[in-house]
Amino acid sequence: MTPRPPVRASAPALLHRLTAKVLAGSGSFIQRLCKGKIESASGVTVGAVWVLTAPVFFLCAAVDFLDDGPDYFPLLVSGVIVEIAGLAVVRFGRFPSTLPISRLFTAVVSGALAALGAVTFAHLATGTSIAVDVALVEAAATITGTNATTIDAESLSLGMISFRAIGQWLSAAAIIVVLVRVLPHLGVGGLDADGGVATRSARRLAPRSGSTMARLMSVYVGLTGLFAMAYLLAGMPWVDSVIHALTTLSSGGFSTRSGSIGSFQSGAIEWVAILGMLVAGTSLPLMFRAMRRADLHRFVRSVEFRAYLGMILVVVVATLAWSDEWPTVASIRHAIFATTSAISTTGYLSSGLGTVPFGGEALLLVLMVVGGMSASVAGGFKVMRFMVLGQYIRRELTKSIHRSAVGKIHLGRSSIGETALARIIGELFLATMILVPVVLLFAADGLGVEGAFTFAVSSLSNVGFAFGDAWPLGHLNSLGALGHLAATFLMLVGRISITPVLVAMGGIGEPTQRTIRRWRLTKRDEIVR
Amino acid sequence: MLISSVVAAVDGGGAGFDLLVSALITASIGCVLFYGSTVSPTADSALAFASVAWSWVAVSVAGALPFLLTGVIPWVRFDDALFESISGFTCTGSTILSDFTSVPQGLLFFRSMIQWFGGMGLIVLAVAVLPALGIGGLELIASESPGPTADRLSLKVRDTARRLWLLYGLLTGLISVALFFAGMSIFDAVTHAFTTVATGGYSTYGDSIAHFDSFLVEAVLIVGMLYCGASFSTHWHAATAGLGAYRRVSEIRWYLWMIFSAFVLLVLVNTGELDWVDNLRDSLFYAVSLGTSTGFGTSDYIAWMPSAQVALLVLMLVGGMSGSTAGGMKVLRLQVVFRYAFRELLRARHPKAVIPIRMGRTTIEEQVAAKVVGFVLLYLGLVVIGGITLAGLGVDPVTAFSGSVSALGNAGPALGEAGPTSNFLVFPRIGRVVLMSLMLFGRLEVFPAMLMLVASFRGLSQIRRRRG
Repeated sequence: MTPRPPVRASAPALLHRLTAKVLAGSGSFIQRLCKGKIESASGVTVGAVWVLTAPVFFLCAAVDFLDDGPDYFPLLVSGVIVEIAGLAVVRFGRFPSTLPISRLFTAVVSGALAALGAVTFAHLATGTSIAVDVALVEAAATITGTNATTIDAESLSLGMISFRAIGQWLSAAAIIVVLVRVLPHLGVGGLDADGGVATRSARRLAPRSGSTMARLMSVYVGLTGLFAMAYLLAGMPWVDSVIHALTTLSSGGFSTRSGSIGSFQSGAIEWVAILGMLVAGTSLPLMFRAMRRADLHRFVRSVEFRAYLGMILVVVVATLAWSDEWPTVASIRHAIFATTSAISTTGYLSSGLGTVPFGGEALLLVLMVVGGMSASVAGGFKVMRFMVLGQYIRRELTKSIHRSAVGKIHLGRSSIGETALARIIGELFLATMILVPVVLLFAADGLGVEGAFTFAVSSLSNVGFAFGDAWPLGHLNSLGALGHLAATFLMLVGRISITPVLVAMGGIGEPTQRTIRRWRLTKRDEIVR
Repeated sequence: MLISSVVAAVDGGGAGFDLLVSALITASIGCVLFYGSTVSPTADSALAFASVAWSWVAVSVAGALPFLLTGVIPWVRFDDALFESISGFTCTGSTILSDFTSVPQGLLFFRSMIQWFGGMGLIVLAVAVLPALGIGGLELIASESPGPTADRLSLKVRDTARRLWLLYGLLTGLISVALFFAGMSIFDAVTHAFTTVATGGYSTYGDSIAHFDSFLVEAVLIVGMLYCGASFSTHWHAATAGLGAYRRVSEIRWYLWMIFSAFVLLVLVNTGELDWVDNLRDSLFYAVSLGTSTGFGTSDYIAWMPSAQVALLVLMLVGGMSGSTAGGMKVLRLQVVFRYAFRELLRARHPKAVIPIRMGRTTIEEQVAAKVVGFVLLYLGLVVIGGITLAGLGVDPVTAFSGSVSALGNAGPALGEAGPTSNFLVFPRIGRVVLMSLMLFGRLEVFPAMLMLVASFRGLSQIRRRRG
């Protein structure tokens, strides 16, 4: 083995140390707080989420105060309330010593719901949205990184704009935590099963999950800083560039302008956004490894990364080929923009609106479903899982000719276990089963067939824009209260993936189920007697 | 074709001679091929699939001849004739004819007839051949209903076929008599009975069943479609062993529940849009017509609410029961997929639990479940690929994707521009070729069609090697 090149104590290393310290600090802070009597993982998570999000309220209140905005007082007050509520909840809770998987799932889901509640509260308190359902769906879009909104961004105060952007950025950071701590238990989408395959043993990035987290987080933070500078250099005002960097790297998609990135009318800015979205859809451990050794060949070696780029390339070429006009530099840029925006589930829009041909539309929809690479902050079903599904179909075809063939599914150099395979398939089917009723609901609630289907897919994958009559962002406006609730649900499901949500819901439902079963059994016994 | 030419002669439409000519051409080519080739004694399963699949293609090509010879479809549009023929033999019912009045009666009869024959071949395929070969988990049919499925294919397939055809023929007779008494002419009654039994959906009128505007006719057709969309092996079993046979099959419960809930949903959605008699009538008719992948039409559902259309699309996707002439993904597979997904949910909660997948009272083997899942994935993948291709050819996405679903599920009408009162000329010419291949893929349960291509390529390369 060649000796490792020494890691230089440079800006990246400093950043890494800083992030690790912040993470450890906040962790131990929470741990010092929760010394209560009630042993509940969900309670502690809810409290922790509230305690840690309250500073965001204060920060944004400060921003708004400096900007002379109208929202600094409500933000301050709601921040105080959230902080107090969080402290109160944490004070009485204690983290259990052992945690079964189902409890872990419930904790994650309740953490997400806590964040949802806090952000909804902020929206209601500032009067950004008056109706509860609208506030809920806005909050869901914020914490899941979906660019779906009913509000014109230019009518918001700077405090609220930055609140929403930071919300998207932080929730993607939280996803990194989930990625490291929770998804390995699921066997899919996390570092352990397929993320590990993609980058070859990413699970061994660091000996402890805490330091893995710190490393990934430092990549995330560093990239955000880099892209803020890049936007600035490309000619964006500095406030906008910070906010756009936050929502680009988190694959969120909220913008400061109502026309999204396109309203800057600048090719350079769009290219920066394209690059940023591409990075947001790329696996974080892969980038960490490549950066640490300055070894770009790692990207080439990753099967998933090749598929990811290949898909983008194919869709761009197809979109250009199917459009009626001869491709120009601008139209190529718009095609690449739309494609990366869909696959990284960011949801930005470029200035070339309304030029997507029908075939391109269908392909973009497929890309939305596919989503970014596994172990990235992007939403969607993940490239890796689709590659696994493709291999699965191939194996079944082979089996129908050669009856007793035993095929193990390989991706790159490692093989996928049957359990992980079943999880992936189960996840896909469950998501489809959730999707169909919601499409029905959307269609009943004011969208056309095309709009309902594409918007459901778009919110399940946390993209934001969708097709149909309301193209690109009018879907939430044409939906009613029920549709807003369904969209909230879909976005949450898309972000934390369906199995944890259903298991957590089952955690509530299981006692009821047990009671019913017992009652039925006793009834049958009576009949037998 | 001979029968059709007789009908044409009786009708005096002048198409009799052309049909006769095409019959002769087909017969002679068939004879030449039959005597010119020898059956290789060692046929592996890929070859078996290939022969089944190619015979479907060959029959469809022959079926295209009468449309061309009678001049209904000009020779330059030979692909349209092929489309019509494939749509017939695969029991799909998508049509590219727009003006039905100028089409001679003999040809209309022929059109319904090919669906009937398609259904006849299909029923043996669905009940006996495919389950025995274990395509996409269809061997599950045998697990619940001990009907006339062939355990050992070569021994029993002829016997099974005879029984099934008896049932099939009886049903056709019954439905045509019922339709006649419901007020149709003899010609209409027979042709519609043909396409009902085959769950095909060709009608002799441009506006399909709406032409008759008779509640009785619709009632007869609803009952007929519902019966024919269910498993024929269960029907046979019920006919010999009493009606209790139906109760033992869980698939039938799912099938009826699915159609019923779709009906309720449609009624709810259409309340306020249509007056309540029309609402009940049309909702029930469409729930059954698309839930069995027949595709008869009474009114234009394109004018319905969007959510009603989404519900219809889901029905088209799922289709009827396995072991019937209905298309789609089949209720059986939906059942397995549901159980599979819920098992994964339970496993996520209890990671070490061993949970079998049950269907009704029987337990399904792991391998069979894997086959079913593979099939469903491939099926959905094909829908998406078809939809993208059609959209790429410039069809609007709703029409493209629903057309893809409809063709692969052998339903007939689609959403968007290709609704029940429209025809498939809205698709571009290459798009219709895509649809044709989707129909064949759907009809042959996808896997054999895939293997047909594999086996054919293998055969071609063998021939090349022998020459070179």
